[in-house]
Amino acid sequence: MSVVSRTVAAIPVRTSVATWNAVTDLLAPAGSAGRDRLEAVTNIAAILITAEYTRQAPIVVIPASGPRIRIRTAHGPDAPEALAVEIPLAVRPSAETGWTMSLPCGIDDIDEIRTALAGHPGIEARDVTDGITVDEPVESAAAGGWSIDYEEMERP
Amino acid sequence: MNTAVHVNTITYAATHVATNMLSSIRSIIKGSGLDPGRIRESWDILEAGIAIWLASRHLKSVTLEVYDPRKGGDDLVGRFDFTIDYGYYSGGDGDLWLDPETVAYTIRKNGGFPARCEYRIVADTAPGRAEVPGWTTTAYRSTTGFTRHAVGTAIGGGNLGAALAYYIRSGT
Repeated sequence: MSVVSRTVAAIPVRTSVATWNAVTDLLAPAGSAGRDRLEAVTNIAAILITAEYTRQAPIVVIPASGPRIRIRTAHGPDAPEALAVEIPLAVRPSAETGWTMSLPCGIDDIDEIRTALAGHPGIEARDVTDGITVDEPVESAAAGGWSIDYEEMERP
Repeated sequence: MNTAVHVNTITYAATHVATNMLSSIRSIIKGSGLDPGRIRESWDILEAGIAIWLASRHLKSVTLEVYDPRKGGDDLVGRFDFTIDYGYYSGGDGDLWLDPETVAYTIRKNGGFPARCEYRIVADTAPGRAEVPGWTTTAYRSTTGFTRHAVGTAIGGGNLGAALAYYIRSGT
């Protein structure tokens, strides 16, 4: 699994909503198929950014194909420095359909946020203490997956 | 170069105070047993207005009014004010900071509200403010019979300070 990481400047360089807008711009160009889904969760994501959960653990995007994306936000004195070195993604993974997203969330807010995200399939909140662990579908052999049977290799 | 730094300092302080004021109001809402859905659904409108009016120095205060819709007329049951002081730091070089304990203390002292209570957020602004979509003019609910308790400055940045106070009904 390959991973691409980015850091987006947040408060006080940007408001929480402007920070999410910057994340949205990073992931999906204007007019693309996936952008509406990101814009629809702006207020929810802005609250998570304000609480700095996205500083503690990354937003994780799993595209339909291509590398997984991890996005953190930089706050306080780190934010101006992060703004100066923000780098666009070579391929914007949420431009097309089929991507999923995991947003970090603290335990005090997770019930509220999960309820709010119920109407947004493919976007979920995970406990911020889980770090970067995100569930993803296991590829089956029928889908072309393969594995090494170490027990078989060790048999005489 | 100095001008650019000065502009950034003012903008950053306004953004810091605006967002953390809104976050503190959300903490009061959750800590008082109220439904956080309403502030969440209006977050973009609220943050835009507060940040713009802070940066232009038109914002005087932001108030959380809690009311009981079962009561007719005089329905206020609680109120929390964040009052802006544009000269909190005379030197103008203050750090960006937030004191969550001031907010937590206020929640503890005020106590909770019945779940049926609702709330709204009111910004008091000086004449000449920019119009921000989603905001409308209104008047405060009466605070007759309430006593105002000042807690102290909860958020600071640049020249700005945001002082928190709460109201408790003291008589009829």
